[in-house]
Amino acid sequence: MKRLSGTALPIWFWLFVVYLFLPLFVMAAMGFRDSKFIAFPIHDWTTAWYRSVLADEEILSALWISLQAALYSTVIAVAIGLPMSFVVARTRGLLRGLMIAAIVLPAFLPVVVSAIAIRMFLGNLGLETGIAAISFGHAISSVPFVVIMLLTRLNAMSENMADAARNLGADDLIVLFRIVLPFLAPALFGAIMFCLLLSFEDFVRSFFLGGNKPTFPVLLYAKLRFGFDPGLAAISTIVLIASTALGLYAERHIRRRKLGR
Amino acid sequence: MTRLLVSARQFGPYRSAVDTLARLPALRFALIAAIPIGWIAVANLAPLAQMVAISFQDRYPLPPGEPTLWTLNHYAAFFETPHYLAAFIRSFAFATLATLLTLVVMFPIAYYLSKVAPRDRRIRLLLLVIAPFWISEIVRSFAWILMLANRGAVNSALGLLGIPGAPLDLLYNNVSLTIGVLYLTSLYMLLPLYAALEKIDGSLLEAAAGLGASPLKRLWRIVLPLSRDGIVGGCTLVFLLVIGLYAMPQLLGGPDDTLFAATIGYVFSRAGDSWPLGSAFSMILIGVALAYVGLFAVLFRSRKPARPT
Repeated sequence: MKRLSGTALPIWFWLFVVYLFLPLFVMAAMGFRDSKFIAFPIHDWTTAWYRSVLADEEILSALWISLQAALYSTVIAVAIGLPMSFVVARTRGLLRGLMIAAIVLPAFLPVVVSAIAIRMFLGNLGLETGIAAISFGHAISSVPFVVIMLLTRLNAMSENMADAARNLGADDLIVLFRIVLPFLAPALFGAIMFCLLLSFEDFVRSFFLGGNKPTFPVLLYAKLRFGFDPGLAAISTIVLIASTALGLYAERHIRRRKLGR
Repeated sequence: MTRLLVSARQFGPYRSAVDTLARLPALRFALIAAIPIGWIAVANLAPLAQMVAISFQDRYPLPPGEPTLWTLNHYAAFFETPHYLAAFIRSFAFATLATLLTLVVMFPIAYYLSKVAPRDRRIRLLLLVIAPFWISEIVRSFAWILMLANRGAVNSALGLLGIPGAPLDLLYNNVSLTIGVLYLTSLYMLLPLYAALEKIDGSLLEAAAGLGASPLKRLWRIVLPLSRDGIVGGCTLVFLLVIGLYAMPQLLGGPDDTLFAATIGYVFSRAGDSWPLGSAFSMILIGVALAYVGLFAVLFRSRKPARPT
Protein backbone atom coordinates (compact mmCIF):
# COMPACT_ATOMS: atom_id res chain seq x y z
CA MET A 1 0.00 0.00 0.00
CA LYS A 2 2.78 2.40 0.88
CA ARG A 3 4.52 1.70 -2.41
CA LEU A 4 1.28 1.73 -4.30
CA SER A 5 0.11 5.03 -2.86
CA GLY A 6 3.63 6.41 -3.07
CA THR A 7 4.01 5.93 -6.83
CA ALA A 8 0.83 4.69 -8.51
CA LEU A 9 -1.44 7.37 -7.05
CA PRO A 10 0.72 10.35 -8.07
CA ILE A 11 1.21 8.84 -11.53
CA TRP A 12 -2.55 8.39 -11.89
CA PHE A 13 -3.10 11.96 -10.69
CA TRP A 14 -0.62 13.49 -13.12
CA LEU A 15 -1.96 11.41 -16.00
CA PHE A 16 -5.36 12.87 -15.17
CA VAL A 17 -3.88 16.38 -15.19
CA VAL A 18 -2.42 15.70 -18.63
CA TYR A 19 -5.83 14.43 -19.78
CA LEU A 20 -7.41 17.65 -18.49
CA PHE A 21 -4.94 20.12 -19.95
CA LEU A 22 -3.51 18.55 -23.09
CA PRO A 23 -6.66 19.16 -25.20
CA LEU A 24 -6.74 22.77 -24.03
CA PHE A 25 -3.12 23.37 -25.06
CA VAL A 26 -3.77 21.65 -28.37
CA MET A 27 -6.70 24.01 -28.91
CA ALA A 28 -4.66 27.07 -27.99
CA ALA A 29 -1.94 25.96 -30.43
CA MET A 30 -4.44 25.34 -33.22
CA GLY A 31 -5.48 28.98 -32.99
CA PHE A 32 -2.00 29.90 -34.20
CA ARG A 33 -2.11 27.74 -37.32
CA ASP A 34 -1.54 29.67 -40.55
CA SER A 35 -4.18 27.92 -42.65
CA LYS A 36 -7.92 27.94 -43.18
CA PHE A 37 -8.17 24.32 -42.07
CA ILE A 38 -7.83 22.42 -38.86
CA ALA A 39 -4.99 19.90 -39.02
CA PHE A 40 -1.84 18.77 -37.31
CA PRO A 41 1.11 19.09 -37.33
CA ILE A 42 1.37 22.88 -37.40
CA HIS A 43 4.20 24.11 -39.63
CA ASP A 44 3.37 27.76 -40.17
CA TRP A 45 2.34 29.92 -37.24
CA THR A 46 0.40 33.17 -37.19
CA THR A 47 -1.33 35.42 -34.68
CA ALA A 48 -3.80 36.55 -37.33
CA TRP A 49 -6.63 34.32 -36.05
CA TYR A 50 -6.36 35.61 -32.52
CA ARG A 51 -6.46 39.18 -33.82
CA SER A 52 -9.26 38.66 -36.32
CA VAL A 53 -11.69 36.91 -33.95
CA LEU A 54 -11.45 39.82 -31.54
CA ALA A 55 -12.70 42.08 -34.31
CA ASP A 56 -15.42 39.68 -35.49
CA GLU A 57 -18.80 41.40 -35.07
CA GLU A 58 -20.75 38.16 -34.79
CA ILE A 59 -18.52 36.76 -32.05
CA LEU A 60 -18.35 40.02 -30.12
CA SER A 61 -22.11 40.38 -30.20
CA ALA A 62 -22.53 36.79 -28.94
CA LEU A 63 -20.09 37.45 -26.11
CA TRP A 64 -22.01 40.61 -25.23
CA ILE A 65 -25.30 38.68 -25.12
CA SER A 66 -23.67 36.07 -22.88
CA LEU A 67 -22.34 38.77 -20.59
CA GLN A 68 -25.71 40.49 -20.32
CA ALA A 69 -27.49 37.23 -19.56
CA ALA A 70 -24.85 36.44 -16.92
CA LEU A 71 -25.30 39.82 -15.23
CA TYR A 72 -29.11 39.84 -15.29
CA SER A 73 -29.47 36.24 -14.15
CA THR A 74 -27.00 36.81 -11.32
CA VAL A 75 -28.87 39.87 -10.09
CA ILE A 76 -32.16 37.95 -10.15
CA ALA A 77 -30.68 34.85 -8.51
CA VAL A 78 -29.12 36.83 -5.65
CA ALA A 79 -32.21 39.00 -5.16
CA ILE A 80 -34.32 35.84 -4.82
CA GLY A 81 -31.77 33.64 -3.09
CA LEU A 82 -30.94 36.07 -0.30
CA PRO A 83 -34.45 36.38 1.23
CA MET A 84 -34.97 32.71 0.45
CA SER A 85 -32.00 31.72 2.58
CA PHE A 86 -33.30 33.92 5.45
CA VAL A 87 -36.65 32.19 5.30
CA VAL A 88 -35.18 28.68 5.19
CA ALA A 89 -32.80 29.52 8.05
CA ARG A 90 -35.77 30.41 10.27
CA THR A 91 -37.94 27.45 9.27
CA ARG A 92 -37.78 24.19 11.17
CA GLY A 93 -39.02 20.64 10.85
CA LEU A 94 -41.03 19.18 7.97
CA LEU A 95 -41.71 22.56 6.39
CA ARG A 96 -37.97 23.22 6.12
CA GLY A 97 -37.44 19.89 4.39
CA LEU A 98 -40.25 20.59 1.94
CA MET A 99 -38.94 24.08 1.19
CA ILE A 100 -35.43 22.84 0.55
CA ALA A 101 -36.78 20.10 -1.71
CA ALA A 102 -38.79 22.65 -3.72
CA ILE A 103 -35.79 25.01 -3.89
CA VAL A 104 -33.25 22.46 -5.13
CA LEU A 105 -35.71 20.80 -7.53
CA PRO A 106 -34.28 22.54 -10.65
CA ALA A 107 -30.83 21.14 -9.91
CA PHE A 108 -32.17 17.60 -10.16
CA LEU A 109 -34.07 17.90 -13.42
CA PRO A 110 -32.41 16.94 -16.69
CA VAL A 111 -31.38 20.28 -18.20
CA VAL A 112 -33.15 19.71 -21.51
CA VAL A 113 -36.44 19.04 -19.75
CA SER A 114 -36.31 22.09 -17.52
CA ALA A 115 -35.25 24.34 -20.40
CA ILE A 116 -38.17 23.16 -22.53
CA ALA A 117 -40.63 23.39 -19.64
CA ILE A 118 -39.61 27.02 -19.08
CA ARG A 119 -39.86 27.74 -22.77
CA MET A 120 -43.43 26.42 -22.97
CA PHE A 121 -44.34 28.26 -19.79
CA LEU A 122 -43.01 31.59 -21.04
CA GLY A 123 -44.52 30.99 -24.46
CA ASN A 124 -47.94 30.58 -22.86
CA LEU A 125 -47.51 33.85 -21.00
CA GLY A 126 -46.81 35.45 -24.36
CA LEU A 127 -43.15 36.17 -23.61
CA GLU A 128 -40.67 36.01 -26.45
CA THR A 129 -37.43 34.07 -26.46
CA GLY A 130 -34.34 36.21 -26.00
CA ILE A 131 -32.12 37.66 -23.31
CA ALA A 132 -34.96 38.03 -20.79
CA ALA A 133 -35.99 34.39 -21.20
CA ILE A 134 -32.37 33.21 -21.00
CA SER A 135 -31.78 35.28 -17.85
CA PHE A 136 -34.91 33.85 -16.25
CA GLY A 137 -33.83 30.31 -17.14
CA HIS A 138 -30.31 30.82 -15.83
CA ALA A 139 -31.60 32.41 -12.62
CA ILE A 140 -33.80 29.35 -12.04
CA SER A 141 -30.79 27.07 -12.22
CA SER A 142 -28.61 29.39 -10.09
CA VAL A 143 -31.00 30.04 -7.17
CA PRO A 144 -30.54 26.58 -5.56
CA PHE A 145 -26.76 27.10 -5.40
CA VAL A 146 -27.11 30.63 -4.02
CA VAL A 147 -29.44 29.42 -1.26
CA ILE A 148 -27.22 26.47 -0.30
CA MET A 149 -24.09 28.65 -0.21
CA LEU A 150 -25.73 31.39 1.87
CA LEU A 151 -27.45 28.91 4.16
CA THR A 152 -24.15 27.26 5.05
CA ARG A 153 -22.83 30.61 6.18
CA LEU A 154 -26.06 31.71 7.90
CA ASN A 155 -26.06 28.53 9.99
CA ALA A 156 -22.67 29.57 11.34
CA MET A 157 -23.97 32.97 12.42
CA SER A 158 -24.80 33.56 16.05
CA GLU A 159 -28.14 35.23 16.79
CA ASN A 160 -26.45 37.17 19.58
CA MET A 161 -24.87 39.63 17.18
CA ALA A 162 -28.19 40.75 15.75
CA ASP A 163 -29.78 40.84 19.21
CA ALA A 164 -26.96 42.97 20.57
CA ALA A 165 -27.38 45.44 17.73
CA ARG A 166 -31.14 45.60 18.33
CA ASN A 167 -30.59 46.25 22.03
CA LEU A 168 -28.36 49.13 21.07
CA GLY A 169 -31.21 50.63 19.07
CA ALA A 170 -30.62 49.40 15.53
CA ASP A 171 -33.72 48.69 13.51
CA ASP A 172 -34.08 45.68 11.22
CA LEU A 173 -32.70 47.34 8.11
CA ILE A 174 -29.65 48.57 10.01
CA VAL A 175 -29.12 45.06 11.37
CA LEU A 176 -29.41 43.72 7.83
CA PHE A 177 -26.88 46.13 6.35
CA ARG A 178 -24.44 46.36 9.25
CA ILE A 179 -24.51 42.84 10.69
CA VAL A 180 -26.05 40.24 8.42
CA LEU A 181 -24.79 41.26 4.99
CA PRO A 182 -21.17 41.86 6.08
CA PHE A 183 -21.21 38.48 7.79
CA LEU A 184 -22.57 36.88 4.60
CA ALA A 185 -20.17 38.77 2.33
CA PRO A 186 -17.75 35.91 1.55
CA ALA A 187 -20.59 33.51 0.74
CA LEU A 188 -22.35 36.23 -1.24
CA PHE A 189 -19.22 36.90 -3.27
CA GLY A 190 -18.80 33.19 -3.94
CA ALA A 191 -22.43 32.88 -4.98
CA ILE A 192 -22.19 35.86 -7.34
CA MET A 193 -19.09 34.45 -9.05
CA PHE A 194 -20.70 31.03 -9.26
CA CYS A 195 -23.84 32.46 -10.90
CA LEU A 196 -21.87 34.54 -13.39
CA LEU A 197 -19.74 31.62 -14.51
CA LEU A 198 -22.63 29.12 -14.51
CA SER A 199 -24.66 31.39 -16.75
CA PHE A 200 -21.76 32.22 -19.04
CA GLU A 201 -20.91 28.60 -19.78
CA ASP A 202 -24.47 27.32 -20.12
CA PHE A 203 -25.48 25.94 -23.48
CA VAL A 204 -28.76 24.04 -23.28
CA ARG A 205 -30.90 26.72 -21.60
CA SER A 206 -29.52 29.44 -23.86
CA PHE A 207 -30.16 27.20 -26.86
CA PHE A 208 -33.83 26.56 -26.09
CA LEU A 209 -34.64 29.96 -24.57
CA GLY A 210 -32.62 32.13 -26.93
CA GLY A 211 -34.04 34.04 -29.85
CA ASN A 212 -32.23 34.86 -33.06
CA LYS A 213 -29.28 36.38 -31.19
CA PRO A 214 -27.17 33.50 -29.85
CA THR A 215 -25.04 33.50 -26.73
CA PHE A 216 -21.40 32.58 -27.18
CA PRO A 217 -21.73 28.81 -26.51
CA VAL A 218 -24.75 28.63 -28.82
CA LEU A 219 -22.90 30.46 -31.59
CA LEU A 220 -19.90 28.18 -31.18
CA TYR A 221 -22.16 25.11 -31.33
CA ALA A 222 -23.77 26.32 -34.53
CA LYS A 223 -20.38 27.01 -36.09
CA LEU A 224 -18.96 23.65 -35.03
CA ARG A 225 -21.82 21.80 -36.73
CA PHE A 226 -21.01 23.71 -39.89
CA GLY A 227 -17.24 23.29 -39.98
CA PHE A 228 -14.04 24.10 -38.13
CA ASP A 229 -11.40 26.74 -38.60
CA PRO A 230 -8.49 27.86 -36.41
CA GLY A 231 -10.38 31.05 -35.56
CA LEU A 232 -12.85 29.03 -33.48
CA ALA A 233 -9.93 27.54 -31.57
CA ALA A 234 -8.55 31.03 -30.99
CA ILE A 235 -11.76 32.52 -29.60
CA SER A 236 -12.48 29.41 -27.52
CA THR A 237 -9.03 29.73 -26.00
CA ILE A 238 -9.53 33.39 -25.17
CA VAL A 239 -12.89 32.71 -23.52
CA LEU A 240 -11.55 29.74 -21.61
CA ILE A 241 -8.62 31.74 -20.25
CA ALA A 242 -10.93 34.56 -19.18
CA SER A 243 -13.43 32.34 -17.37
CA THR A 244 -10.75 30.16 -15.77
CA ALA A 245 -8.93 33.25 -14.51
CA LEU A 246 -12.16 34.60 -13.02
CA GLY A 247 -12.95 31.24 -11.42
CA LEU A 248 -9.49 30.90 -9.89
CA TYR A 249 -9.54 34.50 -8.68
CA ALA A 250 -12.88 33.87 -6.94
CA GLU A 251 -11.59 30.67 -5.41
CA ARG A 252 -8.48 32.38 -4.08
CA HIS A 253 -10.38 35.39 -2.81
CA ILE A 254 -12.83 33.22 -0.85
CA ARG A 255 -10.03 31.10 0.59
CA ARG A 256 -8.15 34.24 1.71
CA ARG A 257 -11.15 35.68 3.47
CA LYS A 258 -11.80 32.40 5.20
CA LEU A 259 -8.22 32.21 6.42
CA GLY A 260 -8.18 35.87 7.35
CA ARG A 261 -11.03 35.49 9.79
CA MET B 1 -25.61 53.25 3.93
CA THR B 2 -25.92 53.11 7.69
CA ARG B 3 -25.92 56.87 7.99
CA LEU B 4 -28.70 56.99 5.43
CA LEU B 5 -30.69 54.39 7.35
CA VAL B 6 -30.14 56.18 10.63
CA SER B 7 -31.16 59.56 9.26
CA ALA B 8 -34.17 57.94 7.60
CA ARG B 9 -35.37 57.25 11.12
CA GLN B 10 -35.89 61.00 11.56
CA PHE B 11 -38.68 60.60 9.07
CA GLY B 12 -41.78 59.65 11.09
CA PRO B 13 -43.74 57.36 8.75
CA TYR B 14 -40.61 55.39 7.90
CA ARG B 15 -39.73 54.94 11.55
CA SER B 16 -43.20 53.84 12.53
CA ALA B 17 -43.34 51.38 9.60
CA VAL B 18 -40.00 49.82 10.52
CA ASP B 19 -40.85 49.71 14.20
CA THR B 20 -44.29 48.23 13.58
CA LEU B 21 -42.68 45.47 11.57
CA ALA B 22 -40.20 44.88 14.37
CA ARG B 23 -43.09 44.41 16.79
CA LEU B 24 -44.89 42.01 14.44
CA PRO B 25 -42.35 39.28 13.62
CA ALA B 26 -44.99 37.18 11.89
CA LEU B 27 -45.88 39.97 9.46
CA ARG B 28 -42.21 40.72 8.84
CA PHE B 29 -41.53 37.06 8.17
CA ALA B 30 -44.51 36.85 5.79
CA LEU B 31 -43.26 39.88 3.85
CA ILE B 32 -39.79 38.38 3.45
CA ALA B 33 -41.19 34.93 2.68
CA ALA B 34 -43.51 36.19 -0.05
CA ILE B 35 -40.69 36.65 -2.58
CA PRO B 36 -39.09 33.20 -2.28
CA ILE B 37 -42.41 31.39 -2.07
CA GLY B 38 -43.68 33.24 -5.10
CA TRP B 39 -40.48 32.35 -6.95
CA ILE B 40 -40.71 28.66 -6.08
CA ALA B 41 -44.30 28.63 -7.32
CA VAL B 42 -43.66 30.53 -10.55
CA ALA B 43 -40.16 29.40 -11.49
CA ASN B 44 -39.77 25.90 -10.06
CA LEU B 45 -43.22 24.40 -9.92
CA ALA B 46 -45.46 26.09 -12.49
CA PRO B 47 -43.46 25.21 -15.64
CA LEU B 48 -43.20 21.60 -14.51
CA ALA B 49 -46.87 21.39 -13.54
CA GLN B 50 -47.83 22.83 -16.90
CA MET B 51 -45.65 20.26 -18.63
CA VAL B 52 -47.39 17.45 -16.74
CA ALA B 53 -50.77 18.83 -17.82
CA ILE B 54 -49.69 19.19 -21.45
CA SER B 55 -48.40 15.62 -21.54
CA PHE B 56 -51.94 14.31 -20.95
CA GLN B 57 -53.61 16.49 -23.58
CA ASP B 58 -54.43 15.34 -27.03
CA ARG B 59 -53.33 18.54 -28.75
CA TYR B 60 -51.48 21.58 -27.53
CA PRO B 61 -51.63 24.51 -28.13
CA LEU B 62 -55.30 24.12 -28.98
CA PRO B 63 -56.85 25.95 -31.91
CA PRO B 64 -59.36 28.45 -30.50
CA GLY B 65 -62.79 27.03 -29.71
CA GLU B 66 -61.76 23.41 -29.51
CA PRO B 67 -62.27 21.48 -26.27
CA THR B 68 -59.38 19.91 -24.40
CA LEU B 69 -59.19 16.15 -24.82
CA TRP B 70 -57.34 14.20 -22.14
CA THR B 71 -55.41 11.16 -23.26
CA LEU B 72 -52.63 8.72 -22.40
CA ASN B 73 -51.72 8.25 -26.06
CA HIS B 74 -48.43 10.10 -25.84
CA TYR B 75 -47.21 7.83 -23.08
CA ALA B 76 -48.34 4.82 -25.09
CA ALA B 77 -46.45 6.13 -28.13
CA PHE B 78 -43.23 5.88 -26.13
CA PHE B 79 -43.69 2.19 -25.40
CA GLU B 80 -44.97 1.38 -28.88
CA THR B 81 -42.09 2.97 -30.80
CA PRO B 82 -38.91 0.85 -30.68
CA HIS B 83 -36.87 3.81 -31.89
CA TYR B 84 -37.72 5.92 -28.81
CA LEU B 85 -37.46 3.00 -26.42
CA ALA B 86 -34.01 2.13 -27.78
CA ALA B 87 -32.74 5.68 -27.28
CA PHE B 88 -34.13 5.63 -23.74
CA ILE B 89 -32.42 2.34 -22.82
CA ARG B 90 -29.20 3.47 -24.52
CA SER B 91 -29.28 6.68 -22.44
CA PHE B 92 -29.65 4.80 -19.16
CA ALA B 93 -26.99 2.24 -20.03
CA PHE B 94 -24.59 4.94 -21.16
CA ALA B 95 -25.24 7.15 -18.12
CA THR B 96 -24.76 4.19 -15.76
CA LEU B 97 -21.48 3.17 -17.39
CA ALA B 98 -20.23 6.74 -17.56
CA THR B 99 -21.04 7.20 -13.85
CA LEU B 100 -19.20 4.03 -12.85
CA LEU B 101 -16.23 4.93 -15.04
CA THR B 102 -16.07 8.42 -13.51
CA LEU B 103 -16.18 6.90 -10.03
CA VAL B 104 -13.38 4.44 -10.79
CA VAL B 105 -11.19 7.10 -12.37
CA MET B 106 -11.81 9.80 -9.78
CA PHE B 107 -11.72 7.79 -6.55
CA PRO B 108 -7.92 7.32 -6.57
CA ILE B 109 -7.52 10.99 -7.43
CA ALA B 110 -9.76 12.15 -4.60
CA TYR B 111 -7.92 9.76 -2.28
CA TYR B 112 -4.56 11.05 -3.43
CA LEU B 113 -5.57 14.68 -2.99
CA SER B 114 -7.17 14.21 0.42
CA LYS B 115 -4.90 11.65 2.07
CA VAL B 116 -1.61 11.08 0.26
CA ALA B 117 -0.43 14.31 -1.36
CA PRO B 118 1.93 16.45 0.76
CA ARG B 119 -0.25 18.52 3.06
CA ASP B 120 1.12 21.91 2.03
CA ARG B 121 0.52 21.23 -1.66
CA ARG B 122 -2.99 19.79 -1.43
CA ILE B 123 -4.87 23.02 -2.04
CA ARG B 124 -2.74 23.93 -5.02
CA LEU B 125 -3.13 20.48 -6.56
CA LEU B 126 -6.88 20.60 -5.99
CA LEU B 127 -7.09 24.01 -7.65
CA LEU B 128 -5.12 22.63 -10.59
CA VAL B 129 -7.77 20.03 -11.36
CA ILE B 130 -10.67 22.37 -10.53
CA ALA B 131 -9.38 25.04 -12.92
CA PRO B 132 -11.04 23.68 -16.09
CA PHE B 133 -14.40 23.46 -14.27
CA TRP B 134 -15.72 26.68 -15.78
CA ILE B 135 -15.19 25.82 -19.42
CA SER B 136 -18.35 25.41 -21.44
CA GLU B 137 -19.46 21.98 -22.60
CA ILE B 138 -19.16 23.19 -26.19
CA VAL B 139 -15.58 24.41 -25.82
CA ARG B 140 -14.63 21.11 -24.18
CA SER B 141 -16.23 19.16 -27.01
CA PHE B 142 -14.34 21.25 -29.52
CA ALA B 143 -11.04 20.65 -27.72
CA TRP B 144 -11.62 16.90 -27.97
CA ILE B 145 -12.60 17.15 -31.62
CA LEU B 146 -9.20 18.74 -32.24
CA MET B 147 -7.54 15.88 -30.36
CA LEU B 148 -9.37 12.99 -32.00
CA ALA B 149 -10.20 14.13 -35.55
CA ASN B 150 -8.64 12.33 -38.52
CA ARG B 151 -6.06 15.07 -38.83
CA GLY B 152 -6.15 15.83 -35.13
CA ALA B 153 -3.39 15.76 -32.54
CA VAL B 154 -3.60 12.07 -31.62
CA ASN B 155 -3.65 10.77 -35.18
CA SER B 156 -0.90 13.15 -36.17
CA ALA B 157 1.24 11.87 -33.29
CA LEU B 158 0.49 8.26 -34.26
CA GLY B 159 1.46 9.06 -37.84
CA LEU B 160 4.77 10.61 -36.77
CA LEU B 161 5.50 7.52 -34.69
CA GLY B 162 4.83 5.40 -37.75
CA ILE B 163 1.99 3.43 -36.18
CA PRO B 164 0.34 1.40 -38.95
CA GLY B 165 -3.31 2.04 -39.66
CA ALA B 166 -3.18 5.74 -38.80
CA PRO B 167 -5.30 7.79 -39.08
CA LEU B 168 -7.62 5.81 -36.87
CA ASP B 169 -11.34 6.59 -36.71
CA LEU B 170 -11.33 8.00 -33.20
CA LEU B 171 -14.11 10.54 -33.45
CA TYR B 172 -17.91 10.23 -33.64
CA ASN B 173 -18.34 7.00 -31.72
CA ASN B 174 -19.03 5.89 -28.17
CA VAL B 175 -15.36 5.99 -27.24
CA SER B 176 -14.90 9.65 -28.18
CA LEU B 177 -18.18 10.47 -26.46
CA THR B 178 -17.07 8.68 -23.29
CA ILE B 179 -13.74 10.51 -23.27
CA GLY B 180 -15.55 13.83 -23.62
CA VAL B 181 -18.20 13.01 -21.01
CA LEU B 182 -15.57 12.00 -18.45
CA TYR B 183 -14.02 15.40 -19.08
CA LEU B 184 -17.33 16.97 -18.07
CA THR B 185 -18.27 14.76 -15.13
CA SER B 186 -14.93 14.26 -13.37
CA LEU B 187 -15.13 17.34 -11.17
CA TYR B 188 -18.72 16.72 -10.12
CA MET B 189 -17.48 13.38 -8.80
CA LEU B 190 -14.23 14.71 -7.35
CA LEU B 191 -15.66 17.35 -5.05
CA PRO B 192 -18.12 15.13 -3.08
CA LEU B 193 -15.53 12.34 -2.88
CA TYR B 194 -12.87 14.75 -1.69
CA ALA B 195 -15.18 16.21 0.96
CA ALA B 196 -16.03 12.73 2.27
CA LEU B 197 -12.48 11.33 2.18
CA GLU B 198 -11.02 14.40 3.84
CA LYS B 199 -13.15 13.74 6.93
CA ILE B 200 -11.83 10.21 7.45
CA ASP B 201 -9.49 10.16 10.42
CA GLY B 202 -6.08 8.93 9.26
CA SER B 203 -5.46 7.22 12.59
CA LEU B 204 -8.23 4.72 11.77
CA LEU B 205 -6.20 3.52 8.81
CA GLU B 206 -3.03 3.39 10.86
CA ALA B 207 -4.78 1.42 13.59
CA ALA B 208 -6.16 -1.05 11.06
CA ALA B 209 -2.74 -1.42 9.47
CA GLY B 210 -1.19 -1.92 12.90
CA LEU B 211 -3.69 -4.70 13.59
CA GLY B 212 -2.63 -6.41 10.37
CA ALA B 213 -5.40 -5.42 7.92
CA SER B 214 -4.18 -5.67 4.35
CA PRO B 215 -4.38 -2.54 2.14
CA LEU B 216 -7.31 -4.03 0.22
CA LYS B 217 -9.12 -4.84 3.43
CA ARG B 218 -8.58 -1.31 4.74
CA LEU B 219 -9.98 0.10 1.53
CA TRP B 220 -12.98 -2.22 1.64
CA ARG B 221 -13.75 -2.08 5.37
CA ILE B 222 -12.83 1.50 6.25
CA VAL B 223 -12.31 3.88 3.35
CA LEU B 224 -15.24 2.83 1.17
CA PRO B 225 -17.87 2.63 3.96
CA LEU B 226 -16.83 5.98 5.37
CA SER B 227 -16.85 7.68 1.98
CA ARG B 228 -20.31 6.31 1.20
CA ASP B 229 -22.01 9.71 1.28
CA GLY B 230 -19.49 11.14 -1.14
CA ILE B 231 -19.92 8.20 -3.49
CA VAL B 232 -23.71 8.43 -3.47
CA GLY B 233 -23.59 12.22 -3.87
CA GLY B 234 -21.06 12.16 -6.70
CA CYS B 235 -22.79 9.34 -8.56
CA THR B 236 -26.17 11.07 -8.27
CA LEU B 237 -24.81 14.35 -9.64
CA VAL B 238 -22.94 12.66 -12.48
CA PHE B 239 -25.78 10.36 -13.47
CA LEU B 240 -28.30 13.21 -13.66
CA LEU B 241 -25.80 15.31 -15.61
CA VAL B 242 -25.15 12.58 -18.18
CA ILE B 243 -28.81 11.60 -18.60
CA GLY B 244 -29.58 15.23 -19.54
CA LEU B 245 -26.63 15.76 -21.90
CA TYR B 246 -27.77 17.34 -25.10
CA ALA B 247 -24.93 18.99 -27.00
CA MET B 248 -21.90 16.81 -26.39
CA PRO B 249 -23.44 13.60 -27.77
CA GLN B 250 -24.27 15.48 -30.95
CA LEU B 251 -20.77 16.89 -31.28
CA LEU B 252 -18.69 13.88 -30.22
CA GLY B 253 -21.00 10.85 -30.46
CA GLY B 254 -21.96 8.60 -33.34
CA PRO B 255 -24.84 9.55 -35.63
CA ASP B 256 -26.72 6.30 -34.91
CA ASP B 257 -26.40 6.43 -31.15
CA THR B 258 -28.96 9.11 -30.33
CA LEU B 259 -29.46 9.60 -26.62
CA PHE B 260 -32.88 10.29 -25.15
CA ALA B 261 -32.26 13.94 -24.25
CA ALA B 262 -31.55 14.62 -27.92
CA THR B 263 -34.72 12.71 -28.84
CA ILE B 264 -36.72 15.01 -26.57
CA GLY B 265 -35.08 18.10 -28.06
CA TYR B 266 -35.78 16.79 -31.55
CA VAL B 267 -39.44 16.06 -30.81
CA PHE B 268 -39.94 19.61 -29.56
CA SER B 269 -38.19 21.29 -32.44
CA ARG B 270 -40.21 19.29 -34.96
CA ALA B 271 -42.95 21.29 -36.61
CA GLY B 272 -46.58 20.61 -35.74
CA ASP B 273 -48.20 19.81 -32.44
CA SER B 274 -45.48 17.80 -30.80
CA TRP B 275 -45.53 19.54 -27.42
CA PRO B 276 -47.68 16.87 -25.75
CA LEU B 277 -45.47 14.05 -27.05
CA GLY B 278 -42.29 15.82 -25.95
CA SER B 279 -43.85 16.57 -22.56
CA ALA B 280 -44.79 12.93 -22.03
CA PHE B 281 -41.23 11.89 -22.92
CA SER B 282 -39.85 14.46 -20.48
CA MET B 283 -42.07 13.12 -17.70
CA ILE B 284 -40.95 9.56 -18.39
CA LEU B 285 -37.30 10.65 -18.32
CA ILE B 286 -37.67 12.62 -15.06
CA GLY B 287 -39.71 9.89 -13.37
CA VAL B 288 -37.44 7.00 -14.25
CA ALA B 289 -34.21 8.93 -13.69
CA LEU B 290 -35.20 10.16 -10.22
CA ALA B 291 -36.54 6.71 -9.24
CA TYR B 292 -33.30 5.13 -10.47
CA VAL B 293 -31.11 7.55 -8.55
CA GLY B 294 -33.31 7.31 -5.44
CA LEU B 295 -33.19 3.51 -5.51
CA PHE B 296 -29.42 3.62 -5.82
CA ALA B 297 -29.14 5.96 -2.85
CA VAL B 298 -31.46 3.82 -0.70
CA LEU B 299 -29.73 0.55 -1.57
CA PHE B 300 -26.30 1.94 -1.06
CA ARG B 301 -27.06 3.70 2.19
CA SER B 302 -29.21 1.11 3.91
CA ARG B 303 -26.40 -1.31 4.80
CA LYS B 304 -24.95 0.63 7.68
CA PRO B 305 -21.40 -0.47 8.34
CA ALA B 306 -20.29 -1.43 11.81
CA ARG B 307 -19.18 1.97 12.99
CA PRO B 308 -15.50 1.87 13.86
CA THR B 309 -15.17 3.57 17.22
